[in-house]
Amino acid sequence: MANHARSALAGAGLLALIAALAGCGPGKPTPGKDASHVALSDVPERVYWGDTHLHTSNSVDAFGFGNRLGPEEALRFARGEEVTSSTGIKARLARPLDFLVISDHSDGLGSTKALYEAPRMFIREPLLRRWYDMMHSGPAGSLRATAEMIDAKGAGTLPKSMTNPADGAKRTKSVWYASMRTVEQYNDPGKFTAFLGFEYTLMNGGNNLHRNVIFRDGGEKVGAVSPLASFGQITPDTLWDYMDAYERATGGKVLAIPHNSNLSNGMMFELTQPGGGPMTAAYARRRAAHEPVVEITQIKGDSETHPFLSPNDEFAGYGVAGWELGNLTMDQGKTPDMFAGEYVREALKRGLAIAARTGVNPYKFGVIGSTDSHTSLSTADEDNFFGKHAGVEPSAVRAMAPQNLGARKGRFGWNYLASGYAAVWARGNTRAALFDAMARREVYATTGPRMTVRFFGGWDFTPADLAGDWVHAGYRRGVPMGGDLAAHAGRPSFIVSAMKDPIGANLDRVQIVKGWTDRAGKTQEKVFNVVWSDPATRRLAGGRLPAVGDTVDVAHATYANTIGAPSLSAVWFDPEFDAAQKAFYYVRVLQIPTPDWPAFDALRYHTRLGPDARVKSQERAYTSAIWYTPAAS
Amino acid sequence: MRQLLGPLLREPLVHFLIAGLAVFWAMSGRPADPADRRIVVDEPVVAALAERWTATYHAPPEADELDGLIRDYVRDQVYYREALRLGLDKDDEVVLRRMRNKMEALATSEAEAATPSDAQLQALIDRDSARYAGEAHYTFDQVYLGADTPANRALARAALTRGGTLAAPVPAAPLPARFADSGAAALGETFGDGFAAALAKLPLGQWSGPVASGLGLHLIRLIAVRSPGPVRLAEVHQRAENDWRAAAAASAREAQYRRVRAGYDIVIARPR
Repeated sequence: MANHARSALAGAGLLALIAALAGCGPGKPTPGKDASHVALSDVPERVYWGDTHLHTSNSVDAFGFGNRLGPEEALRFARGEEVTSSTGIKARLARPLDFLVISDHSDGLGSTKALYEAPRMFIREPLLRRWYDMMHSGPAGSLRATAEMIDAKGAGTLPKSMTNPADGAKRTKSVWYASMRTVEQYNDPGKFTAFLGFEYTLMNGGNNLHRNVIFRDGGEKVGAVSPLASFGQITPDTLWDYMDAYERATGGKVLAIPHNSNLSNGMMFELTQPGGGPMTAAYARRRAAHEPVVEITQIKGDSETHPFLSPNDEFAGYGVAGWELGNLTMDQGKTPDMFAGEYVREALKRGLAIAARTGVNPYKFGVIGSTDSHTSLSTADEDNFFGKHAGVEPSAVRAMAPQNLGARKGRFGWNYLASGYAAVWARGNTRAALFDAMARREVYATTGPRMTVRFFGGWDFTPADLAGDWVHAGYRRGVPMGGDLAAHAGRPSFIVSAMKDPIGANLDRVQIVKGWTDRAGKTQEKVFNVVWSDPATRRLAGGRLPAVGDTVDVAHATYANTIGAPSLSAVWFDPEFDAAQKAFYYVRVLQIPTPDWPAFDALRYHTRLGPDARVKSQERAYTSAIWYTPAAS
Repeated sequence: MRQLLGPLLREPLVHFLIAGLAVFWAMSGRPADPADRRIVVDEPVVAALAERWTATYHAPPEADELDGLIRDYVRDQVYYREALRLGLDKDDEVVLRRMRNKMEALATSEAEAATPSDAQLQALIDRDSARYAGEAHYTFDQVYLGADTPANRALARAALTRGGTLAAPVPAAPLPARFADSGAAALGETFGDGFAAALAKLPLGQWSGPVASGLGLHLIRLIAVRSPGPVRLAEVHQRAENDWRAAAAASAREAQYRRVRAGYDIVIARPR
């Protein structure tokens, strides 16, 4: 008897010991570091590269998919150090990043890991037991279990114990503080910025309404809140309330970045109020105030525009294959009427139309790219792509295999893009400087390559400006990307200047995409070719240019910079400017064709790809827009 | 006494032995022999079951729920012992990996919670000073000529004969004309690998080049080079501490493995 009494106590003692050793207690928030020693330039002098969207093993699905790397490995990798991936492959970035946001899902933060490590006898719900057993049966079972969880989340059928706020809160706080400690350790003002943040995984059915939430502050403020769970919510109002409450309580700042509008089945950029009815000015103002930036490109596809919406844009439709079939979980197929609420260019146009009616533009946002990688590895380079999650790290079969996040069919490995990164024109590499640049939309997106792009709008720029110090002139006499042009006599002029990635491909062309509301109040769009390589041999005809050419050797996954140009700059005047029309202008830079990651996989593993696989494309950069608003009549 | 114990208490081997003793003590209460066919569910066991239920659901179990927990406990014990008896734990990948994870967590958790002394960090820096060394910073003027072509090289040479004055305007590019005190790594991000190394070879105070980068050709007037001073711990403290912690965890894991493995004869016979 005494023996068994000791047995039970000892069992509890062992667990307590392991818990204590592993530092599992909720602990305390870690304060942030002082950044006051970092000298800031007068105007942004250089662009900072980063990823605002990365998942580690603390994310419920990332762990289920097999990710065993935590925030520390993620940060080391982003800083350029070698890390061993969850599947045992040595991984390293060709170039470090300047900043990183670890954005683990707030919903069930750390819960898959907790479920996996729980004693089975305490798992009462049959569904949880099923997932527990599947996860323990090996990688294939773990993948299936995670797919079922994503489906259940979409369908709102997750077990209560996973979504119960009281149970989740303690676990969340413990994981949140532990992650915060690591993030603060790696935040190195002036050299590398690690932000505190999380992903708010809002769904309406299987429709993706996810947002990444990024704090400007350190643990001394952010520690006052826990990541907000999205269970039971179908509109972002609760998130905005949470953000307001945080700012009121702490004096800090926070912003939200929606992503994968392409998987929202038309719900991300609605013309109406969520749930129907005309959008109110109050709602539009709230949305614009909380969400100054949208993620336009990432691993799960590109959301610039779709050929259905932009039939006259020969470069529309980059990275839409597979994703255009339905929503995130594929529980609802897509119909063409949904596209308009899904793509960024159309959203910018809708914003003008709503502003014409309500006086407020809800969709006046800048754009960034990020990875949404679930491997803890921020990879967006075609020759070094570690996939969406740990189940699809480099292998011989991943490019052609069906790869669905939900349990249903429809998408294949090659539909996933090695994309993208966030480029930020900031005055220095600190949380405050980078955050403020995002808040004023002085940011742009690329599908991976690190192209430098400047964009200024004003009223008196001339080609002669390019011979002088046009960057300071741009700031002094105009506004940078993300800015507003107020009414003025004359017509607007734009300085645009793009430079290739120093270790990447040459540029094909620089385009300006204009959207406006016409006299009848209808929205319109047009793509202007502004400056391009080989102008002596490539002449505009009917607004179109001959293609730049193609040097891609798919079999060897190579290309040559024998075509294109390393740098393209111009001053451009809108030839169709109408002072009475609301308009926006953004820049799209296209590279010459280069091989895509499936071509590198085929070379590396000596495998054959199917005929439909994407093997080469023209990667691109999208800037935030500059808006023109007529004087009130 | 304290003087005697102090160094001993900081000794990792002592920590390991204490942790090992704790595990041994914990495990020793369990039926040592799975052949023990008597399963006793006594008050402490029931109390522990109820307590863990309460911790999960924030309410004590109802009578029928407690019965369920006990039934489950018994079922677990019956199957656990029977499975061990049948040797089902052998060659089970999940069991193997779980046991290994627990051993590794025990080995590394202490290192992860520890705080290194400045002396330990200084030693780490001294061992790999190149890793922590600051980088050279360069101040220079730069004219970008475009792609690396024979025509642009000729343009550069002609300009250099005129003291850096170009015959015709060069294409605009989003590159500053003056780089002030820029570190080698930041220059690498802007110009591509090897650019700082090329700068280091240029003469001071005069236009020279052309220097090729990942972007094309440049004329350069190097104005100043600031060499890195000796590494100061205060400047690299966090990085060194992060490295120390990661290395301590890895070496604790490795050391434990070597220690445990020493108790085994390992015979490897590869198939021919």
